[in-house]
Amino acid sequence: MEERAGTSTFEELALPLLDALYRYARWLTRDTAEAEDLVQEAYLKGLRGFGGFHAGSSIRAWMFRILRNTFLTSRTGLRAVPTIPLDDEPPIADAATPELQLLQRADVESLRSAIENLPLEFREVLLMSDVEEMSYKEIAETLSIPVGTVTSRLIRARQKVRKALRGET
Amino acid sequence: MDRHWTAEEIEEVSGDEVHLGGCVQCANAVIANGLMKRRVREAMLIGDAPPRLRARLQKRNVSTPWWMAIAAVLAAVLVLSALAWRRQGQTAVTELADMHVTMLAGANPVDVISTDRHTVRPWFEGRVPFGVPVPDLASTPFRLIGGRVVYWHSSQAAYLLVGKGAHRISLFIFRPQDAPRTLGTPPASMSALSWQDKGLTFVAVADVPEGDLEQLRAAFER
Repeated sequence: MEERAGTSTFEELALPLLDALYRYARWLTRDTAEAEDLVQEAYLKGLRGFGGFHAGSSIRAWMFRILRNTFLTSRTGLRAVPTIPLDDEPPIADAATPELQLLQRADVESLRSAIENLPLEFREVLLMSDVEEMSYKEIAETLSIPVGTVTSRLIRARQKVRKALRGET
Repeated sequence: MDRHWTAEEIEEVSGDEVHLGGCVQCANAVIANGLMKRRVREAMLIGDAPPRLRARLQKRNVSTPWWMAIAAVLAAVLVLSALAWRRQGQTAVTELADMHVTMLAGANPVDVISTDRHTVRPWFEGRVPFGVPVPDLASTPFRLIGGRVVYWHSSQAAYLLVGKGAHRISLFIFRPQDAPRTLGTPPASMSALSWQDKGLTFVAVADVPEGDLEQLRAAFER
């Protein structure tokens, strides 16, 4: 049984995204076994809903969104949601030379744990922007938020990483 | 430059690719942002999906979970057999009844017109791939009117037109492999009867009571 959008099958479009989806699942769940289950469930849902995918739009944004929704309705996801902080730090450019040194010297492990401790919506924008190199427009599409929100969320995410590296909370 | 860049502006430029004017602070901020991106990438770029996950998705066939495949096959079989049943069953007698009515409405319902079975029977030789049994109907309420060749689902069948009073009965004679498997319910005011005899399948259709068709069958089975 093959399901098609345009001329491509679901597998042709979605399987190349496996590594990216797995990374996303890992950073959402922070657990490898859970991430694997999440990816598998997202693929099944994607296949079932493939008729609703519009050929020509971003399959990556579509699959990321499915994975995200699947996660948010999971038990871990429901626990993760209430941690949305209303951080009112003004987004100003405050990076100075010590910042550079701090970033250069930080080891990968402490950086990783700083990111792991960020609330979900900051972790995911960092991943989409810096690792998957998605455009702000694609991130906005994936998360169903305006592009401006993507920008401000990224700024705050980076501020939080800096603070964490400085040992602040 | 008379003001410092905002965080949004820094976010929008891709760090070191941009030529920054004379402002050291802005330059630093942009460089820090670029460095931040690289370090975040480094920290977040965990390994690829484990091969077992890829295998699981491919083997269990992402595109068809096994239960979906089985369900789809079952559903297809059910639909096809229901359709086949309908076609073989309900429509067979309807089609034969339609042929009966159509032929009687035509100017020449039969190609060989004869009440003599010794005329009708040899006429079919070479026209249908079997010998057509035509009994002597003299001592019955039936009389032979004639016969012709008909086609049923691309196979030849013999057609005998038999009279009973003012009524006409169509008798279709098939080789068993060409015969409709089930007959179904005839249309209102029509009767149909099917039987096997002499290695052939007979189907009688007419606007007479079914008892008359039973009688015809008895005459043919003698």
